[in-house]
Amino acid sequence: MKNRSSRLWILACALVVLVPGFWLASRTWLRSPARGLPYHDSFSSGKSDEWKALGGTWELVDGMMRNDSDERGAKLLTGSTWWRDYSIDADVYLLGVSGDAGLLIRSSDEEQGVNAYNGYYAGVRTIDNSVVLGRAQHSWMESAQRSLVQGGIRPFQWYHIRLLAVDCQIAVSVSAPGEPLHTAFGASDANCIHSGRAGLRSYSSGGIWRNVSIQPATHHDLDAMLAGAGEKGSTFQHSTVTTDSVQLHTRRMLEEAEERAMAVSSASTQNIANLRFAPYATPTRYTVRGVVTLTSPSLYVQDSTGGVYVQTSESLHLKLGDEVEVTGDAHPGSFSSSLQNATVRVLWVRTPLPPLSVTASQAATGRYDATFIEVRGRLVTKERAPNNTLLLNLEEGAQTFRAIMNPGRGDSLFARLKPDSSLRIRGICVTDPSMTKSLTPFDLLLRSNEDLDVIAGPPWWNTGHIIEIVVAALVLALIGVFLYHRVENWRLRAIMQERERLAHEMHDTLAQSFAGIGFQLQAIRNGLTNASDDVRHQLDLASSLVRHSHQEARRSIATLRTEELETEDLISALERCARRMVQEGNIQVECQKEGDQRTIPLRIVDALYRIGQEAIANAIRHASPSQLVIRVRYAASSVQLEISDNGCGFVQSASLLGFGLRGMRRRAQQISAALSIESSPDRGTRICVDAPLPPHASVFVWPLRVIKAFWEHSIYARTTTSNRPSSHR
Amino acid sequence: MFISIQRFHRSAVRIGCLAGAWLCALHILGCSSHTSPRIAIIPQTEGMSIWDAVHVGAESQAQRSALTVYWNAPTREDDVDGQIALVDHVTHDRYQGLILAPSQSLALISPVRRALERGIPTAIISSPLPLPHSANLINIVNDDELGGHLAAQRVVAMLNGHGTVALLGINPDITGIMTRAHTFELELTRVAPGIEIVERHAGTFNALHEQQVAEDTLRAHPGLDVIIALTWDTADGAYRAIESNANAHATRIVAFDCIGIPAFDQWKRLDSIIQQNTRAMGQKAVEALNTRMRGGAMPADMLVPPRLITRDNISNADVREMFSADLELWNWRWSLFK
Repeated sequence: MKNRSSRLWILACALVVLVPGFWLASRTWLRSPARGLPYHDSFSSGKSDEWKALGGTWELVDGMMRNDSDERGAKLLTGSTWWRDYSIDADVYLLGVSGDAGLLIRSSDEEQGVNAYNGYYAGVRTIDNSVVLGRAQHSWMESAQRSLVQGGIRPFQWYHIRLLAVDCQIAVSVSAPGEPLHTAFGASDANCIHSGRAGLRSYSSGGIWRNVSIQPATHHDLDAMLAGAGEKGSTFQHSTVTTDSVQLHTRRMLEEAEERAMAVSSASTQNIANLRFAPYATPTRYTVRGVVTLTSPSLYVQDSTGGVYVQTSESLHLKLGDEVEVTGDAHPGSFSSSLQNATVRVLWVRTPLPPLSVTASQAATGRYDATFIEVRGRLVTKERAPNNTLLLNLEEGAQTFRAIMNPGRGDSLFARLKPDSSLRIRGICVTDPSMTKSLTPFDLLLRSNEDLDVIAGPPWWNTGHIIEIVVAALVLALIGVFLYHRVENWRLRAIMQERERLAHEMHDTLAQSFAGIGFQLQAIRNGLTNASDDVRHQLDLASSLVRHSHQEARRSIATLRTEELETEDLISALERCARRMVQEGNIQVECQKEGDQRTIPLRIVDALYRIGQEAIANAIRHASPSQLVIRVRYAASSVQLEISDNGCGFVQSASLLGFGLRGMRRRAQQISAALSIESSPDRGTRICVDAPLPPHASVFVWPLRVIKAFWEHSIYARTTTSNRPSSHR
Repeated sequence: MFISIQRFHRSAVRIGCLAGAWLCALHILGCSSHTSPRIAIIPQTEGMSIWDAVHVGAESQAQRSALTVYWNAPTREDDVDGQIALVDHVTHDRYQGLILAPSQSLALISPVRRALERGIPTAIISSPLPLPHSANLINIVNDDELGGHLAAQRVVAMLNGHGTVALLGINPDITGIMTRAHTFELELTRVAPGIEIVERHAGTFNALHEQQVAEDTLRAHPGLDVIIALTWDTADGAYRAIESNANAHATRIVAFDCIGIPAFDQWKRLDSIIQQNTRAMGQKAVEALNTRMRGGAMPADMLVPPRLITRDNISNADVREMFSADLELWNWRWSLFK
């Protein structure tokens, strides 16, 4: 007991030390400024799971991260908010003529919005050909110092930017290819932000980022950077920017010609909805104006009346949100039209349109064909299409539809999606059977994986979980029943041990005393030579009483002793008990065993043994038999114990149901056994107990046994309650 | 207490057995009420008598094939959700066959696919539904291309190669209507380039709206020769517009799908009607489903030719039969007591 207590104490102390220790260690690790550093992007291998987008249309294209949108303040973030002194390096490529693109450092509390973050930003800006450095705190504070870059900042050109933060000093350096010098300057922020994530950001311009690396920084690095030793211009690659670099330049040319283009008033323009009523037989050229809602895999333009698919042979690099004028041959379709052989002119650069929120039933009417919509749906299945596009099969109400995502950044999100999740999806609604394969009324073409929100995961109460609960309940029930039987066995063993102890006590005290008293009385009688006959008679009577009491005490001891039950089978134990009781008499004890002996639960053996003892004792005490038969029959599902004698018998009546017989009935009831007593005067007595044995334990039997045990327990409890007044009587 | 629990237990067992027996009996009764296979026919609407012909054709064939017909449809042809609910009801109740005249060419795709996934043989009638091929699917649809051709040829004959036409009632929701419009335009341009389509308008199933559209068209084109009304609601609206416009009495109407026997005597400006044979579609659809239900293969898709109906042939027996909603077995049998 002492050892167990010690072990418990040691365990408790270990828990007290280990749990907080583990918590502290994990907290320290999570908050470590060095966790995850140094870092280098895996864009070239198509991985960007660690980056989180806020705004923009961030996608991996040709191993580089690209944001095609001109959204003001589109951000892509990575790292830990506990990063303190570090630098971030990247090659940055501006996709617009009137914005800036760059890097974020020590950023936290980010939200979607222009300056919705706390942190520092440095980038290259085309408007004033300068390097911009500033701090955002849900408002913008720009450094008074501004450096002009030699040769100016030009779009569609790579710049290497390095942004570094050490203590409260922030520094930036920018170098352009072919330029021998780099621009570098720093700023000191008295009330600085001490830690935060790193990120990429663009403002009113798209951009491309590559070779993003983040590493711990020191004052030495800061000094070296400002002194020029950290110049990174040599790392530039002069290879083609992307496969669509030609288109990017074309776009630039278009944007530069914007004013000129706007000055030339185009011919009459039409609403996009009117294209549906264009002549079908002879394609007619129409001009529409609208906003670009999708650029890849197809170009879609939308105005307030609807959307149109634009097929153009021109190599353009349009961005979402661009306001364009499209002229082409109108081909009216069932629900929307297409403009083929089209020419596209960028009128203005805008942020992307918000989606039109509709239900799947509304989208399934075709009314929103070629329109940018937002739909909610439940994910049924997900799959990869042959061309490696990601396909989500969804349903809402009576309608089913599909969402088609591009691989790349969508991969990790796709892998995380679970069937039955509730999703909100934004995309271009397409009803063209060549796209839907006539499997669904419409498909949604997603612009990026930011167009997919998981509103709620799959409901917990699904078939799998219900099966798990049932299995767990069964296992728990099995464990409960197992423990119940173990405890019951322990209790029975404790009772037996106590009885054994009482028997030893009685043997050592009461029986010995009776023997001593008898011996003394005999000695007194033998010593009284001249005593009267009355005295002798009284002494004989006393000796007889003592002898009788001694015999009773020995019987009681024999009854209490159960050692044999643990070492012998039932019939041997009863035979030993009977022979012990009749050892000074002339009663013949006969034992019979029928059937294949099998292991009987201790609870049943004990009950049968007690019933047998009582029956044997009753026969010896009251029936004066010459023969006592003990018979045990082992059947397939029960065991029968029969005690019969050829004594005087008795007339069965309620008045004869003494304590012994009541005790036998109670014991029989406890093991669900049937007790029968047959007796008549001069024809002996036969007591039979038929006890059912539990079936062989198996997974399927245990639950039934549990239910049965509860049922029996309930009935027994009620019966005991209802019989309590009569037992008192 | 012990006895009462035992009694309760016995009572519970008895009640359970009794309830089980009742359920079995009800189930057997329920099953016995549908001894013959049930097929469901869901037209676009029950509110227009044009679909009664489908019912007649299907019912007559169903009686020959010992099939039970469930007939129901929304009261309006633009109640797409109502039609979807009916299809889902038929799918859920595991009818042995489904005949559907879709009122929307996209929205019905998912419900019909569910029916097909449950193995219900399905016939699409009147206007096609863009669904992938299935062994349980057949399209028995109106030959709308032929309809467009007939309309174009009629217009050419009416105008002798020169004139103006307005194409009204273009409804993208129904593929067949779009096919008619496109084929009409292609054929007209090919055969008679001198005839100009001066107006194209989207249509609805609201005759008042269609009247407004037609009035606007007549105002914009006072000398308009012909209005092609792609639906009957459009024809109805166009007729009223012509009647109310004193300058448009030369304008004539070529319409599609009259809801009853066309009243040429009353509608003086109604030139002709291109009528789909819904009765034949219903009949052929039931035949096809019956073949499939008996283990045979579904026949190939069918195009049922429409009929050009004019004043000259309106009295023909075959034309009258197309509009007939008379089924002998439907006639109430009176038993007179003396």
